[in-house]
Amino acid sequence: MNAPVTSFDTVSVTVLPSVARFNLRIAPADLSVASAAFGLTLPTKIGQGAQSGDRAAYCIGPDEWLLHAAEADQQAIVSAFAAVRADTAHSLVVISDREMTIGIDGPDALALLSVGCPIDLSRLPIGGAKRTVFDYAQVMLIRDAEDAFRVEVWRSYFPHVHGLLEIAARELTVGL
Amino acid sequence: MTEYRVEGRGRVNRAKPVKFTFDDKTYEGFEGDTVASALLANGEHLMGRSFKYHRPRGVVTASSEEPNALIGTTRGGGKGRFEPNTRATMQEIYAGLKTESQNKWPSLKFDLGAINDRLYMLFSAGFYYKTFMWPRSFWDSVYEPFIRKAAGLGKAPTEVDPDHYASRYLHCDVLVVGSGPSGIAAALTAGRAGSKVVLVDENSEMGGTLLSEPSVSIDGQPAWEWLEGAMAELDRMPNVTRMTRTTAMGYYHQNMIGLVQKLTDHMADVPEGAPRERMWRVRAKEVVLAQGAIERPMVFDGNDTPGIMMAGAAQTFLNRFGVLVGKKPVVLTSHDSAWYSAFDMADAGAKVVAIVDTRETVSQALLDEANARGIKTYLSYTATGTKGRLRVSALRVNPVRNGKVGSAHLLFCDAVLVCGGWTPSLHLFSHTKGSLHWDEEAKVYLPGHKTEDVHIAGAGRGLWGIAAALEDGTKAGTDAVKSLGGNAGVATYEVADDRTGTGITQKELPTDRSAGKAKAFVDFQNDVTAKDIRLAVREGMKSIEHVKRYTTNGMATDQGKLSNMNGLTIASDALGKEAPQVGLTTFRPPYTPTTFGAFAGYHKGKHFEVTRKTPIDSWAEEHGAEFEPVALWRRAWYFPMAGEDMHKAVARECKATRESLGIFDASTLGKIEVSGPDATEFMNRMYTNPWTKLGVGRARYGLLLGEEGFIRDDGVIGRMRDDLFHVTTTTGGAARVLNMMEDYLQTEWPDLKVWLTSTTEEWATIALNGPNARKVLAPFVEGIDISDEAFPHMSVRECTVAGFPSRLFRISFTGELGFEINVPARHGKELWEKLWAEGQKYDICPYGTETMHVLRAEKGFIIVGQDTDGTVTPQDAGIGWAIGKKKPDFVGKRSLDRPDIVAPNRKQLVGLLTEDPKTVLTEGAQIVADPKQAKPMKMIGHVTSSYWSESLGRSIAMAVVEGGFDRMDDTLHIPTENGDAVPAKVTSTVFYDPAGDRLKVE
Amino acid sequence: MLLIHCPYCDDTLPELEFAYAGEAHIDRPADPSKLTDEEWRDFLFIRTNVKGVHAERWRHINGCGRFFNALRDTVSDRFLTTYKAGEARPDMQTLEAAE
Repeated sequence: MNAPVTSFDTVSVTVLPSVARFNLRIAPADLSVASAAFGLTLPTKIGQGAQSGDRAAYCIGPDEWLLHAAEADQQAIVSAFAAVRADTAHSLVVISDREMTIGIDGPDALALLSVGCPIDLSRLPIGGAKRTVFDYAQVMLIRDAEDAFRVEVWRSYFPHVHGLLEIAARELTVGL
Repeated sequence: MTEYRVEGRGRVNRAKPVKFTFDDKTYEGFEGDTVASALLANGEHLMGRSFKYHRPRGVVTASSEEPNALIGTTRGGGKGRFEPNTRATMQEIYAGLKTESQNKWPSLKFDLGAINDRLYMLFSAGFYYKTFMWPRSFWDSVYEPFIRKAAGLGKAPTEVDPDHYASRYLHCDVLVVGSGPSGIAAALTAGRAGSKVVLVDENSEMGGTLLSEPSVSIDGQPAWEWLEGAMAELDRMPNVTRMTRTTAMGYYHQNMIGLVQKLTDHMADVPEGAPRERMWRVRAKEVVLAQGAIERPMVFDGNDTPGIMMAGAAQTFLNRFGVLVGKKPVVLTSHDSAWYSAFDMADAGAKVVAIVDTRETVSQALLDEANARGIKTYLSYTATGTKGRLRVSALRVNPVRNGKVGSAHLLFCDAVLVCGGWTPSLHLFSHTKGSLHWDEEAKVYLPGHKTEDVHIAGAGRGLWGIAAALEDGTKAGTDAVKSLGGNAGVATYEVADDRTGTGITQKELPTDRSAGKAKAFVDFQNDVTAKDIRLAVREGMKSIEHVKRYTTNGMATDQGKLSNMNGLTIASDALGKEAPQVGLTTFRPPYTPTTFGAFAGYHKGKHFEVTRKTPIDSWAEEHGAEFEPVALWRRAWYFPMAGEDMHKAVARECKATRESLGIFDASTLGKIEVSGPDATEFMNRMYTNPWTKLGVGRARYGLLLGEEGFIRDDGVIGRMRDDLFHVTTTTGGAARVLNMMEDYLQTEWPDLKVWLTSTTEEWATIALNGPNARKVLAPFVEGIDISDEAFPHMSVRECTVAGFPSRLFRISFTGELGFEINVPARHGKELWEKLWAEGQKYDICPYGTETMHVLRAEKGFIIVGQDTDGTVTPQDAGIGWAIGKKKPDFVGKRSLDRPDIVAPNRKQLVGLLTEDPKTVLTEGAQIVADPKQAKPMKMIGHVTSSYWSESLGRSIAMAVVEGGFDRMDDTLHIPTENGDAVPAKVTSTVFYDPAGDRLKVE
Repeated sequence: MLLIHCPYCDDTLPELEFAYAGEAHIDRPADPSKLTDEEWRDFLFIRTNVKGVHAERWRHINGCGRFFNALRDTVSDRFLTTYKAGEARPDMQTLEAAE
């Protein structure tokens, strides 16, 4: 997939390639089963993330996780969870196509996100993720570094969110 | 150098002259000037006409509370960049700025509307209420046009504002509003303690009072040097942000403050892409309000004559802008502060004619200073009139002895500088619903009980003088840091030459003339006089809230910043009560008028709201579709060919689909994955239908009720596994249904092991309908047999379609053989294009939502929200068959036995066929049984759906009608706008293929 | 805009992440068919409409997705506390003592 980039000195807005993405729901008591199936110890506190290679897991609700993996691994992961379903009740739903991902990098990343995010972004831990809002859209906000974020947004809301980010990124270059 | 500019005074940049226009005349000022200061430097006081009487008005303040000098500005020379009611005292000049006066015709100096001023006695308080009452026939034709013509201040711009407005959220520890000495001290204190501080000021530079008081020294430095040092220190702290031209316009719950930052209105050359304004939504842990105090006018006959202004404003124009507002001023005051203004004016070369003070005594030090400058002083005097119309030429003053007003004499002058005391600025504090307490001694309201984490410092809580402000600001900063759990060092400041003082406030000044004839203005902007307020009290207004609305005092765009306290003082005098018993009107956001652009921010044009588009939307656009909004989505409505209107296009699309093949983008349908061992039990409890016996690979129409028994949503639900359902919802209902399901699951049935995930946007959904649907689809399907036998109506399978993983449904919302293909969203358009290409063999026809509606109506399928309106039960809609009667319970079941739901004569959904088959009824039209009955007729229902049916060659309609099921074959009537009534026969809602034979295509 | 503490996320967040969901502690009857018309009417429609401390439901809809309960003063609009769904309504005196 091509990756259009709007890049300025202080911040860049990038449409990121797609990944295999899952919504996992499971009772916290059964989490070890899910960790084994996914091959990564899933975090237990809302907002936390865990990463290993191209797999990542973010706890986004008391019994809810967002999982990322390489696209090629999608079917294998579905099968791994299917194999334990009979013994351990859970729900694994493929949402690889539900969202689009926007990368926001650079020293002005926080300022750029603050045009639409009402939360205090500085409190978001690096490596963590949070479901929140950007303007009128619900988004998943993932913090990869001090000044690097990813915004996952439902496909039909993407033009709105991406459009606002582009306008605001231009504002930042004007410096006003 | 212009005539009134003083060498060596002010902060404007003398090296940079700036030309601008006012009423098409070019004026020169300097960089740093406002329109007001630059016009004053040119000797122009007259800047506007008043609202009601069109009286000539001059500028009275140097700041944002200005009620008179409201001008129209045209920025950037551009179309749509006109702004009315801009304060000339706040608008900075730049090369090319065009400004104009308002509320005048034909010119500012000669205005025909001023006839109203001669009719003053007619336009008293309550004029509108009394005058426009009768005759009633005049309301629309005479009074309303009159009021509309007279109403409004300034001209509203008619073109679209091309500018860009921005917004951001901001989180900080301490927000300091106001950058006078107390605000600066607070910011320094909190900044040095390491707090994240934001300091804002509405002016173009920080300093507040310090900018007008250069003679003070702080810590041995002249005020302006100290100020420069303080600013530099703040700027060195990475934890401190300073924002100028930034107004704290509203104070909301839990320390959320709205700031409007003006970014480009002072620039001759605006950088490309720069926003004009930015709304900051600040969440501060602690707030320091250091907004200072507002000087009060004095109320006397002719007090609005141009050339009369606040003494403090004159001092600001002199010291900050280097402008003498007059060469022969008289000072009229009841507060020491104006004496200092007089001294500054005298020291700058003005011949101060006199200081007139209403008080009997003032300090000897002030008298000595006045004497030293040769200024005459009059104590215990009143002012009773003025001379001059476009500019004051004399002030009429009289001694007051033992409450008696003595004989008058005139003080000839070119300006009158007035000070009736100072009002602490508590607007933002009032937004928080903090209580105010009345300070009996100072006759002012001060902050009382606080509802927020807020600290009020300096003149805003009645303190006076720079030393007091610095000390109080430091304390506010310390307190804020302490509340944050930190510790701040307490700085002390040595202040020399501080001009402290006291004063009194009063009602309208006593006069030897008839008070009833005096034009003694309280509210300049709304032309309210002392007489109006007394009249309102005489006519029975007891509360200040009533006085305000009856007289409009304080209701102008300045929200009574100058007038409220004088109005209150006069009203309480007229009522014979103390001010706190009369009350104070509430200040509400915004603090100063705020542009719509600032509120709208990015939400204009294509970002006005979210427009959701499906993966196939671009294909529809390329193929000329017309779109309609459905919830937040835009959906292809119909696909007109050259020369077709909607009617023709829809007729063609319907025919093509029924005869061969139609293709439809159904991606907007809500989709929910219901997964887990208790999925069946959950579905049984949520939906009316029974789910236990639905086999894997089968699908069923599902009906969802609210607990009160009315239809909420519907959709086809497929069973993918024992423990997995693919639920579809209406387009608009997707989020609502998921929320409702989560609600029951989390709060009523937390024991159920089942989970819900929205997959609306995971899948693109393409519907193929028509007798050739299977033929076009079959070549693409791998993994399953889709013959009628192997894959009957109401089936679902996972398979591969055109190589894409798919959930394939055989269902029909048209009555034709139908399939719905779900593929991962990214493949939606590609699959569509493949089906489109293959479908050419069958004259495949893309259709939109309108054709979908017609086809389903022909079959009598309901649209939730169109044929139902939140008061329709399954029985009412004729779909009682969808209720699992043997189920012990489901959401809404108990309500189906409610007395009102089993009562006879409920409105029921029926078909309507007009007698004239060509007549298409209007959706929403009311229905009556007897069109000859007297009006108002008894309406027994309304038309919910109505279309031209190309397949039937006639119109069809659905309607909800009282006792409709018992009226089959009756003729009812639908009255129309032109007085006729259309007769129509009640029928079944299934108009087309009632036996369902068309589904059975081999 | 209010700040609301989500008892599941244990975080205080802007109101924009939350949605109001009506009065709290109104349990759906285990067997609605046993209720009289009047009892069912009361369950469906009758609410307390308090002036003062109101127990109400909110959903962290743009966050963890959980429904939870809150005590809020309808006069001042202030949240006094929030607690998880299924927990008993906190006693006001205990709350005040804790402050």
